[in-house]
Amino acid sequence: MRDNSRRPLASFTNRRSFLGAVGASGTIALAGCAGFGGGGGEDPFDDYGPQEAAVEPSAVSWDDLGELTGELTIYSGRTRDQIDPLFDAIEDRYDDFTIDSDFDDNSTQLNKINEETADTRPDIFYTQSSGALAALKQDDLVRTLPEDIIDAVDDNYSDPDGTWTGASGRVRAIQYNTELWEGTADDLPDDIFAYADDERFEGIISTRPNSGTFRSFIVAMIEMEGEQATREWIRGMVENQDVTLYSSGSQQAEEVNAGNQTVGLGNQYYAGRILENDPDAPIDVAFTENDPGCLFNVSGVGILADADKPNLAAEFTRHVLAAEGQAFFVETNGEYPVLDGVDYVGDLPTLSEINPPEFDLNTLANVEQAVDLLRDEGMTV
Amino acid sequence: MFETLRGTPTDGDDGRSSLGLLLLSGVIAAIVTSPLLWLFLRASEVASPERAISLLFSARTAEILINSIGLMAAVTILSVALGVPLAVVTTGTDLPYDRFWTVVAALPLVIPSYIGAFAFVRTFGSGGEVSAALGVPLPAVEGFWGAVVVITLYTYPYVFLSTRAALLSLDMELVEAARSLNVTRIAAYRRVVFPQIRPAIAAGALLVALYAVSDFGTPAFMRVSVFTYEIYVESGSFNVEYAALLSMQLLAVTAVILLIEARVGRDTGSSGGGRTARLRLGRWKWVAMAAIGSIGVVTLVVPVAIFGVWALRGPEGGVPSLAFEWSFALNSVFLATMAAAVACLLAIPVAYHSARSDSRLSRLFERATYVGFAVPGVVIGLALVFFGSNYAPWAYRTVPLLVFAYLVRFLPQVVGTTRSAVLQVDDRLVEAARTLNAGRTETFRKVTLPLILPGIVAGGVLVFLTTMKELPATLMLQPSGVDTLVTIVWAAHETLYYQYAAVPALILVVVSALSMVVLLRQESGLG
Repeated sequence: MRDNSRRPLASFTNRRSFLGAVGASGTIALAGCAGFGGGGGEDPFDDYGPQEAAVEPSAVSWDDLGELTGELTIYSGRTRDQIDPLFDAIEDRYDDFTIDSDFDDNSTQLNKINEETADTRPDIFYTQSSGALAALKQDDLVRTLPEDIIDAVDDNYSDPDGTWTGASGRVRAIQYNTELWEGTADDLPDDIFAYADDERFEGIISTRPNSGTFRSFIVAMIEMEGEQATREWIRGMVENQDVTLYSSGSQQAEEVNAGNQTVGLGNQYYAGRILENDPDAPIDVAFTENDPGCLFNVSGVGILADADKPNLAAEFTRHVLAAEGQAFFVETNGEYPVLDGVDYVGDLPTLSEINPPEFDLNTLANVEQAVDLLRDEGMTV
Repeated sequence: MFETLRGTPTDGDDGRSSLGLLLLSGVIAAIVTSPLLWLFLRASEVASPERAISLLFSARTAEILINSIGLMAAVTILSVALGVPLAVVTTGTDLPYDRFWTVVAALPLVIPSYIGAFAFVRTFGSGGEVSAALGVPLPAVEGFWGAVVVITLYTYPYVFLSTRAALLSLDMELVEAARSLNVTRIAAYRRVVFPQIRPAIAAGALLVALYAVSDFGTPAFMRVSVFTYEIYVESGSFNVEYAALLSMQLLAVTAVILLIEARVGRDTGSSGGGRTARLRLGRWKWVAMAAIGSIGVVTLVVPVAIFGVWALRGPEGGVPSLAFEWSFALNSVFLATMAAAVACLLAIPVAYHSARSDSRLSRLFERATYVGFAVPGVVIGLALVFFGSNYAPWAYRTVPLLVFAYLVRFLPQVVGTTRSAVLQVDDRLVEAARTLNAGRTETFRKVTLPLILPGIVAGGVLVFLTTMKELPATLMLQPSGVDTLVTIVWAAHETLYYQYAAVPALILVVVSALSMVVLLRQESGLG
């Protein structure tokens, strides 16, 4: 499964020209071989609608969809491990289809798209945070998706105006060290506010305030419980609990796993990854009940208003929302599907068991108030 | 604060070519600082002036300012305290195996500080690898002083290398002369040697200070609030305008540092000669070797050991696209070589003219090239995304634009070493060549250039090293499908697939270490 879109700038087999290129003239020669700009080629399809079958809530198969061809440019805010295998599988399926993928921090990708022009913007933005998609929507940078895509995805997991759709779901969770936590999972409170004033958590709780999903969680708390309650929660965490703050989600989960922290507020995914590596690792997750502490957020897809190949991008999105695409998210990432017709199979409780709050994910774009609140109360790294 | 005019060009030919050189320096300085215009553009678009004012002038901002300046000052002072004695010990004494110890003392520079910080956190502290292996709890490296320690250990080589170069070209007979006048050895160093190497120390300290103030990874990992952190928070909250505004605050601090260094680092007109006398260390040589050895173990062996542990960890398979390919290393080396070569070409006129002409304008142009070094990479990256997309879409996400980003960030490293080298060229040699009717260009090519070449190469190697480990601009501007060692280390580390980070990280260190050997051979005049 070698990534066939990857290429070296110079190779040992061509050593002479490699050394020769190390000069001012090499810059120009190289610019030539590296190709100018992105994309290349025309949109292979004339129609924004389905090339063959339309996607449905009951999940169509890749076999029913139009054959992808040409090159598609995708900026991803998600990490490679969570999306590259799907890209590879789709590329391997079609001989003449390649993905020009670009990986970076989610917010950096968003800033990049904002700084770019119609000439340089990608066809698709793929992100782990609907807040980023909602921000693009506010700036009119994404276009309305085709009808069949809008209709196929559960309304809770996509934009009501149809400018972006969720691709998979993830939930905020309570990570805890099973050896250090004195009690069972049931002894962990199912109310997120308890974590800020329950004395049992004093000095043993941590979180990662600079992450996108943490900010989404704070935005959701402001939205659902009000600014004052949120301010008190943050203050309680900082002042009563002396919360330990990390700047990296992986670092935080590792510290819980290593026994340096007992409890960590973060995504269920990090603990899942550690358990995948070592099933005996002393880390597990629990969930709060119908409050921002178990906020459901989606990874999602938006087709750029300036996309060179909107029709190809739409047919690609159908592949993400087909049975095989959804199965990938469930099996590889331990995430939740966004189609009603696809079941979640895995070790974690199903979404109906977790009972996350209902929430308009577009609200997550407005992070300024949350950021200012965190700064005011000193919950910053 | 700048030197007054030492001499004016006497004939028309010189005047014209000097003016030409001044214009060329000006153009180069303008080009590499132009991306910063983006800051003004975005800062002027701030939606809420009230929020901007509260961001810039709140109590928390004062705390950040104090943290940033404190971090910078502490790192700079400690780097000088570490780098200068090590340079003296490895050049001016009878230390056994001085070559080996020189390489060990310089090598920490090749370790990216985010890897260093990660290694420190994983190694020390109660749950770290070392305490797990030894069964004893070790003190955690964290907070303000944790950041100071880590940044110092990975940046002091800037001071070490520049001081070492100056010491190597210093006439040690001066020390002996002073000694013959009944002055103690320490007093001789203080009164004779120190004034001569002061500009070099200041040049190295400047790079350390600017690096410390622009570093994001280490302070974030150690949980210290500094300018870069606030800039990241704002740019990470879809508020690029405020990030730009905060970056301008950082630029103001940078300008002050550049002014201070211009004062301290003023050329004292020293020029080199041979070395004769060497200090006898006696029993102190054991202390010296133990000190350098400990630094080597902590800064080099620990991260490399961590890579080894990574290699053994994690699930089989997992993410095929992260599996090691030699093209990662080739791409890294290729980009770093391009950046170093172009940086050397651009640095020569700027450094040469500012060292030779004494005009204020010329010194200003030279200082201007430093500004990019103090701005966080993510800001430079976004600025170039904007300029590239708007004015050169054909170059967007191609190698030339990425190399340009490296130039904006790293040009001062080679400007600094080249300028020092030009200052050390004996004026009389140049005059002699001119009396023999050699033209200005010919004199430069046949006399000056060979003399300053080691300085240029040394700077080029520094650019190579920093480009190899540069992350934010590389991620933002990397051409389609072109992965480098650091982009893979980043992708693997971020997702806990550590086993994929081990090989590229090790190769990064090995290739960088080899280039460091090139640098040291140049400086020893063994090239």
